[in-house]
Amino acid sequence: MSPGRIICLGQPAAGDDGVGPAVAARIEALGPPPGVEVVQAAEASALVELVQHPGPVVIVDALVGTAAPAGLVVTLPPSDLSTAALTPLSSHGLSAGQALALARTLAPEAVSPRVRVVGVVIAPPDRYAARLSPPVAAAVDAAAEAALVAARG
Amino acid sequence: MSQRTIHVDYLARVEGEGALTVVFEGEAAKEVRLDIFEPPRFIEGLLRGRDRLEAPDVTARICGICPFSHQLASSLAIERALGVETGPEIRQLRRLIHAGSWIESHVLHAFLLHAPDFLGYPGAIEMSKDHPELVRTALRVKKAGNALCAAVGGREIHPVNLRVGGFWRAPRRDELLPLLPELRWARDAVADLVPALAKLPFPDLERDYELVALLHPDEYPMFEGRIVSSKGLDLDVADYDEHLVEEHVQRSNALHSRLKGGGLFHVGPLARFALAFDRLGPAARAAARQARIDPTLRNPFKTILVRAVEVIEALDEAVRIVEAWQPPAAGFAEVPRRAGRAGWAVEAPRGLLYHAYDVGPDGLLTRAKVVAPTSHNLAIMEDDLIALAPQLARLDHAAATLLAEQAVRNYDPCISCSTHFLTLSVERR
Repeated sequence: MSPGRIICLGQPAAGDDGVGPAVAARIEALGPPPGVEVVQAAEASALVELVQHPGPVVIVDALVGTAAPAGLVVTLPPSDLSTAALTPLSSHGLSAGQALALARTLAPEAVSPRVRVVGVVIAPPDRYAARLSPPVAAAVDAAAEAALVAARG
Repeated sequence: MSQRTIHVDYLARVEGEGALTVVFEGEAAKEVRLDIFEPPRFIEGLLRGRDRLEAPDVTARICGICPFSHQLASSLAIERALGVETGPEIRQLRRLIHAGSWIESHVLHAFLLHAPDFLGYPGAIEMSKDHPELVRTALRVKKAGNALCAAVGGREIHPVNLRVGGFWRAPRRDELLPLLPELRWARDAVADLVPALAKLPFPDLERDYELVALLHPDEYPMFEGRIVSSKGLDLDVADYDEHLVEEHVQRSNALHSRLKGGGLFHVGPLARFALAFDRLGPAARAAARQARIDPTLRNPFKTILVRAVEVIEALDEAVRIVEAWQPPAAGFAEVPRRAGRAGWAVEAPRGLLYHAYDVGPDGLLTRAKVVAPTSHNLAIMEDDLIALAPQLARLDHAAATLLAEQAVRNYDPCISCSTHFLTLSVERR
């Protein structure tokens, strides 16, 4: 089987949106298994290209939640991602779900046959923050482990 | 008389949170409201008491789409306040990253968020099924802009390399040269899209705007020049507060700007294009000719064409700067710790952006003022909808709602920036 690709989305300077890069750093520190590639992307439009990969693809991103507790790690099929128009909170134009849907339309043969999403629930951002909140920081190890499991296919 | 209301909760494909309501009496718009309920960010208050060097990093957080413009405006205002002089290489590097921000912002808006309006699709995903090459090209050009911003700014979003006085580190020539092939490809690729864009079905709407933009003596305006208008305004940026005022509108978290005396004005690509057409380079002018637009253009729906022209100008400028790039000995000029007061304006992708600061003798900020392009444009956006009302009144509800949304998207409104700012309702009474 082709090696897996873990795509960590987010910005390290934007509070809990930085959980994706934090997970990437954790996997790099652990030493990713042979053949598993870890890449970072600041915004979702990069996914259109990055999900075009023959092996398993794992997207690690923050999930804004109100019902679920911050720090909860969930592994989801991509069908659970919304492809609705830009959500009011997004400031990047395309959501991860929209980018994945675009990739499937533009290059249906090239998109990985197995895409999984590892999401870390974060509280709706309501203030300036330069680092992860305690519950999200505490979830980084579990999210890294979930991403590695999902990357095995 | 019958009354009808168009109401849109959460405007799609714009940045931030807001709503739009149009109330009709017959074919006339009785009331137009752009309600902005993204929470105010109190950025200006947050800056008071912080060191003058912190302003670019804090103001960059206002928005994920135009952090570069806020960083440039804050840096240049503080430099002016404290008498900091920077060299020609810093100026070129600033023009380079500003060009990168125009490319990524304009391409995202024009080709992925606004083009579906004209082609009859709800969004980019649906449009990509019938126009895959348009979407592929847009994504690749946007990637070239992102790469340029990352190479100069350290990151694609919320850059870390810009500072008051210049850049923490000026990139080496060998770090920028690899960008050239993709920048040249992107310039030609966007030029190839222009003839098709010119054939889009544009609604009729001719407006007698007072267009306001920076005007540089020789170059297409980015962050230098006097503030001029199509109706005679001509002032030094230092005199901004004497001529442009902000007023609070109860329904909105954003302030509305007007000319002193109450006049509405329009900032953005259309204003820059009309006022500085003769400063465009040959490639952008050729694209304008192909798009059949000239400085007399006043149809806001055709701003999508102007954005394409400006992308070509920005790519052309980026190619010129990278080809000639030789880094300076130092990436930044030292910034003294002393008192000062100044404002500065830059042409952000969406138009005129103004920052002003007071610095105390201890180097701490005692006042900050940020007026974003969307704040400048809010009143004229409502006025466009009043002018569009007879057309809206003749359409069924769904079509009227779509056209009203499209009219707002002409401005590529950035709600986060203006609140420091949208939902559409059309009411027919």
